[in-house]
Amino acid sequence: MSEAQWVLLPSGQRASGEWIDDTLRERVVESGLLARTPLAAQFPRQRVEVIRDADDAEVSELFHARGWTDGLPIVPPTMGRVEDMLRYASQPANAVLGELDPLKGLATVEKVAANAVMAGCAPAYFPVVLAAVEAILEPDFNLRGVQTTDENVAPLLIVSGPIVEQLNLNASYGVLGPGWKANATIGRALRLVMNNIGGGWPGAVSFAGVGQPGRYTMCVAENAAENPWDPLHVEYGLESDTSAVTVTRAETAVNVTGGLAEIADVMGSAASLFAIYHNGIVAVLLAPAVAKQLAADGWSKDDVKKHLHETGRLDAGMWRKSWLHKDLAEASQWPDWVHEAAATGSIPAVRDPSDITLFVAGGTIPIAQHVYFPSWGFPPCRIVKPVTLPADWDSLRERETGMSET
Amino acid sequence: MLRAAAVAEKAGVPSTSLVCEGFVGQAGTTSVGLGLPNLAVSKVPGHVDTQSVEELKRNVLEVTLESVIENLTTDPDMAVAIREPEATDIVFEGTFEEVNRLYYENGWSDGLPIIPPTEAKIQAFLDFTEKDPHTAIGSILPDNRSATPWNVAINGVMAGCRPEYMPVLLGLVEAMADPEYGVEHSGNTPGAETLITINGPIIRELGFNCEQGALRDGFQANSSIGRFWRLYLRNVAGFLLHQNDKGTYGNTWRVVLAENEDAVAKIGWEPLSADMGFAAGDNTVTIARYTGGDVILSVFGDSAEKMLPYLADGVVKQNGWQLCFTLGIATGTLKPLLLLSPILAETIAKSGLSKADVRQYLYEHARWPAWKFEQYIGEFINLVPGRRTLQDLVNLGKAPPQFAESDDPNRMVPIVCSPDDFMIVVTGDPMRTNAYTFSHNGMLGYPVAKKIALPSDWDVRLRAAKAY
Repeated sequence: MSEAQWVLLPSGQRASGEWIDDTLRERVVESGLLARTPLAAQFPRQRVEVIRDADDAEVSELFHARGWTDGLPIVPPTMGRVEDMLRYASQPANAVLGELDPLKGLATVEKVAANAVMAGCAPAYFPVVLAAVEAILEPDFNLRGVQTTDENVAPLLIVSGPIVEQLNLNASYGVLGPGWKANATIGRALRLVMNNIGGGWPGAVSFAGVGQPGRYTMCVAENAAENPWDPLHVEYGLESDTSAVTVTRAETAVNVTGGLAEIADVMGSAASLFAIYHNGIVAVLLAPAVAKQLAADGWSKDDVKKHLHETGRLDAGMWRKSWLHKDLAEASQWPDWVHEAAATGSIPAVRDPSDITLFVAGGTIPIAQHVYFPSWGFPPCRIVKPVTLPADWDSLRERETGMSET
Repeated sequence: MLRAAAVAEKAGVPSTSLVCEGFVGQAGTTSVGLGLPNLAVSKVPGHVDTQSVEELKRNVLEVTLESVIENLTTDPDMAVAIREPEATDIVFEGTFEEVNRLYYENGWSDGLPIIPPTEAKIQAFLDFTEKDPHTAIGSILPDNRSATPWNVAINGVMAGCRPEYMPVLLGLVEAMADPEYGVEHSGNTPGAETLITINGPIIRELGFNCEQGALRDGFQANSSIGRFWRLYLRNVAGFLLHQNDKGTYGNTWRVVLAENEDAVAKIGWEPLSADMGFAAGDNTVTIARYTGGDVILSVFGDSAEKMLPYLADGVVKQNGWQLCFTLGIATGTLKPLLLLSPILAETIAKSGLSKADVRQYLYEHARWPAWKFEQYIGEFINLVPGRRTLQDLVNLGKAPPQFAESDDPNRMVPIVCSPDDFMIVVTGDPMRTNAYTFSHNGMLGYPVAKKIALPSDWDVRLRAAKAY
């Protein structure tokens, strides 16, 4: 027997008061998925629930059965834990950041905090989580599309600025991999927000054909120490001492070993078809060693983008024969620039060099590894959200973590 | 606004309602109560009152317009019913402290301790009514929940009422459900609070204070029934701060007022219950909403003639922007309330004045200059369309002729449409020469009175209850 757990319910309520779970249960039943979430919509309709005789693992199981997890264990969002999280918000708990598509649950600061707790975030991560949620609420992110499409797109979060070091976000070896709490849990918090407040339940509302591992979490940090150019947030107009989350829609993450030629080769492939079709904005993670050499040779970031735009081209014949061109999108539906480029024999992976989000991350190794993130969907999307810190950020972190120095 | 949209939608006409940014949440909850939870709204950034014409134009064109077009040209999302516990479900079992914490955290309590509404306690309240516990007394906007003796009893228990107050609580909820009162306006920004006035022998039977300190906490009936009202608005009507209760400041719930009927009888006046259409001696509840009020201190004089000018002055000063309820928004709905301590009422009555005479006096002397009246409703506030003069309103048939007896801007005009619009209650310290006057909130809480229905063997039940 354990103490009672006072938990904040993490799922979405609409402005009208409806809980999105009622809609979700209907969808789950229709889709024959009740075995995954047998307790969908079975919970008291209130802000706080008292759960007795259940330890953390049992609360986790209960929440999973209600459809509120990504399949991994969650940390129960007890009132105390949520309050610790809220300490790092610059807005009141009941402030509404917006309605999350497609089921339009209200993203209150408190609901987001409950999901951040569940994801395992330390309280100090919360400002980054809030910035990420604000980003996916921007119309340009097309959250409705991302949540419901049969494609496999996921938000890619790129954190830059002083907060990377302050939160010990990984920007180096294994930047897309496991092991760093901040990367793992910030990305996961956003996924839980999308699932629990927006209602993007797989198979019931979200019809991604296969999904991708990045749907658990996909949060990287820019490697400031190894980046020879301006950091992302400065490139897109923010002050250098600001921190920011840059959010794009990534269809997947493709590893590329080699140099610019190999990146261009991957970009000029079928992987880019959706980006071409939608005038998309793609992202390229450039290995530190290559970035360093290019900068030493006098290349600016724009030079690199121009080069990739010029050399990363899809053969026009391949485009014409492609499934997307033959079976889904008629010729008339492709943008004019695509037709114009096809007339020259090949099509760049993006309309313009500026449609490449280029950043430096990863470990410093001689066999350089890059990542190409093709995009899906419309409209073109690159959202740079400054991270708003509470006024007492420094003293708060010092008091509560006591580990910022090492 | 949303009510108009609801009418349009029910007639099959697509609608969207322009809603200022701070009110989108209220719109969401209000539309549920209107039975159309998916009414479309289009947000206008900020608040229109503080924007220049250019700013407003830019906001509407850049932000609002797109949503107007979308809302009018697409089908709204399907509505889903909001599930709630059944009336008799046991929602929680726990200690007193746990119950209080849970009720508070879920928004079912006002922040003070509540008495946990257990089945036995609810039953004790239900023993004071012959109504079926689950019969509907009415539905209460904005959430449109059904008012039943059962949920009246629950909120009565929580508020700290005694079971024998139940007939009063039922009368109050019947009044709350009366469309004339307009409970749906209870979340409006003026933040007015209801004043409940009790008349009849039940004042003595339940121990209401109707003497010194009549509006102060300290007597269980006055205090706990006042609190009940606010809990019922929270839990059944569904008014919640930071959501659909948009009172800019608001008030705490008011201690229930009781009239000193002995003092009234002594001077040969009629109690409020008679003014509200019942017989003197009936047990009644009267409700109306007031934004505030003020004491009229140390009314000096040995006759009505000497006292009334000061009283009229006190009344007129409490009625500035409220004049939009006299003319403009909802013509003739302003009902200023004046409380007279027994000694004042007695002195006035000794001069030979009836209550009606006092009303007539106030009508003739509690006046503003016409230009000031026009300034309140046409210049200071932005609620009356057209910025018309009193003369215009009379010409249009929207105001009685007494508001335009001449074209002199300094002419004195009444603050109400009829002498009968003044309400007078005798209560307070019997031996102190103070009065009190309330600023009424017009149609947003119009006075409504109901007779209190007692169970057939009231005396027996009351005696039994009091033995505890």
